[in-house]
Amino acid sequence: MLRAIFYKEWLKLRLFWGLAVVVHIALIGYLLLSLRSTLLSSGVVETWATMIGRDVLMINQLAYLPLITGVCLALCQWLPEMQAKRIRLTLHLPIDNQLSIGAMLGCSFIGLCLLFGLDAVLLAGFGQVWLPRELVWRTFLTCLPWYLGGLIGYNIVSWWVLEPQWKIRCVNMLIGAPLVALCFLTTQPACYIQMFPWLIGLLLCTACLPLYSIYRFKLGKQ
Amino acid sequence: MRTKQSKIATIQYLIIGLGIIVCVWLLPALYRLVAPNTSRTPFVVYSCLDSSFIQFETINKQVQYTDFKGNTFTKHEADSLLPLFAFRQLVAEGRLPDSLFGVALTPKRIQQNTFHFKTSPKQLNKPAVGLYTLLESASGRVDLQLPPDVFRLTDKGIEFIDCETNTVNKAKSLSFSRELEKYGFVFPVQLIWGNASTRKDYDNGFLLTDSQNRLFQLKMVKGTPWVRVIKTDGCTITGYKQLFTIEPANRLLVGLVVSDDNQLYAVRADGSMTHIGIDSYDPQTMQITIIGDMFHWTITEYTATDSRYYAVDARTFEQVARAIIPDPAPSIKERIMRYVLPVRLRFTSWDTQLIAPNFE
Repeated sequence: MLRAIFYKEWLKLRLFWGLAVVVHIALIGYLLLSLRSTLLSSGVVETWATMIGRDVLMINQLAYLPLITGVCLALCQWLPEMQAKRIRLTLHLPIDNQLSIGAMLGCSFIGLCLLFGLDAVLLAGFGQVWLPRELVWRTFLTCLPWYLGGLIGYNIVSWWVLEPQWKIRCVNMLIGAPLVALCFLTTQPACYIQMFPWLIGLLLCTACLPLYSIYRFKLGKQ
Repeated sequence: MRTKQSKIATIQYLIIGLGIIVCVWLLPALYRLVAPNTSRTPFVVYSCLDSSFIQFETINKQVQYTDFKGNTFTKHEADSLLPLFAFRQLVAEGRLPDSLFGVALTPKRIQQNTFHFKTSPKQLNKPAVGLYTLLESASGRVDLQLPPDVFRLTDKGIEFIDCETNTVNKAKSLSFSRELEKYGFVFPVQLIWGNASTRKDYDNGFLLTDSQNRLFQLKMVKGTPWVRVIKTDGCTITGYKQLFTIEPANRLLVGLVVSDDNQLYAVRADGSMTHIGIDSYDPQTMQITIIGDMFHWTITEYTATDSRYYAVDARTFEQVARAIIPDPAPSIKERIMRYVLPVRLRFTSWDTQLIAPNFE
C-alpha cells in the first residue's frame, strides 16, 4: 500500500521535482560562476581578503531559495489533495491515516533533504577548489539555517493547507510565519551556530503539525 | 484510541507552546518598534585645561556643552577648553595656543599624537574565520599591500596557504613556526589579533599568546618572520582575555591587551607593558572608546548599567580623573513594557552577532 502511495506522490510531484532540481543547479551554478568571475576579475588575494576581513560570502542570493522550494512543494503536494476534498480517498485506504499521511510527508521531506544535499555537495565540491576549507565550512554554516528554514517552511505550509477551517488557517499562519522567519534573522556568516539545536527542535515540532490538521479534517471540521 | 487522543493532545499543547513563544518574542519587538527608546548617550572628552570632562549632548536638536559639575559652555568656550580635540577649528580661527604645559603645539604634532580606538562586544562576539592575513611590514613602499597568502593556526604551528593555488606553502609555514618556537613559543596559539587593513600607515603584525599564556608579537619583515616576546615585568598577569593590535601615528604603542581579571594594559613599542589606570574592562560586555591626545587619553566604557569615564596620562597611563554616571531610570514606556510583558524573548542582542534565544 505504501509503495502505491509513493508512486502516486511521484506521479503528482515529478514535474515539481524536475523543475526544482533544474532551478537549484542553475542557481548554485550561477553562484559558483559568479565567485569564479570575481576571483578572476578582482584577484584571488583581494577576494579572499574581502571574504575574511569583511564577513562577505557572496551567497546571499541563495538565502530564500530553500524556503521557496519548501513552500512550493507543500502547495503542489497538498492543494490538489484539498481540492474537492480528494484527500478523503487517501484517508479511506485500509491503512492507518497517520501512516499514510506520514509517508506522504516523509517522502517529500526526504526529497527536500536530497535536493538540499545536492546543493551542499555542489557548493562544497566546487568551492573547495578555489577557497580554503575554513571559508567552505563557513559557507556551509551560513547556509544551514536557510535550508532548515526550507524544511520548516514545508511543514508550516503543509499544516496551513491541510487545515480545513479558514479562521484556524489564519491563526496557523500567525504562529507559523514568525517561526519560519527565525531562520532568516541575519545574513552574517555562521552566526546561527548556537541556534542549530533549537532550529532542529523546531523542525521536529513542526513536523507533526500537518497530522493535527488531518485529525481535524477527519473530525469533519468545515 | 487513547494513545491517539494523547498524541493529539500533545500536538495541541505544542501548538499552544509555539504560539506563546511567538507572542513573547514578537509583542515586545513590536512594542519597541512602536515606542522606540530615544535616549542618547552624550559624547565626553577630558579637558586638560579645565581638568574636567566636557560632554557634548544633543537636546532638542541643539548641541549643549557642559561638564559634570553642571557648568554650561558655549561652543566657542568648549573649543578653547579642548584645544587638542578642536585644534582644526582653533587653527581656522587663529586661536591655537603656541604651547601647552611647556610643549610647543603644531597641527602636525597634535595630529601625530592623536589616537582613536573603539570596539564593542558585538564586534568581538562573533564566529572567527580562522584565517589571518600577515602584511609585509617593511616592503619599502609607502602603501601597504596584501600578501599572496593567508595563514591558519594548527596544533603544531602556523600554516600559510597560497591564495592563487589554494595549497599550503610548507617552507614559509615551517620558517614562521620554527622562528616562533626559537623564542620559546609553545603551540597551539591561544589568542591572536591583527589588523589586516591596508588603509594604515604601517603594520604592527599580530599579537598572540601561546599555550603557556605568554604574549608575543609576530611580524613579517622582508618576507621573513620577526618575533618578539612581550615583557610583562611589573604586571601581575596570569592569563589573557583579549588582544588588540593598534597602529597609532606616533608609533609608541603596539597594542592593548586585557588580562583575565579584566585589567587593561598597553603594549609599548619597546615590547614592555604598562597597566592602564581604569577600574576594569570586560571586552565581552562593555563597549570602549579611547580618544587620545598628547597629554591624556579619555577612556569611555558603556556597560549594561552605567557609563564610565576615565582620563589617564598619555605617557604613564596613570589615572587622572574618573566619573561613573549611572544610566537613567527606565522610561515610562520601558516600565509599561516590563509590567505588561513580564517575559520577553529575544534572538538578537546588542552585545553579540550570534543568534540565540535569551529570556529577559
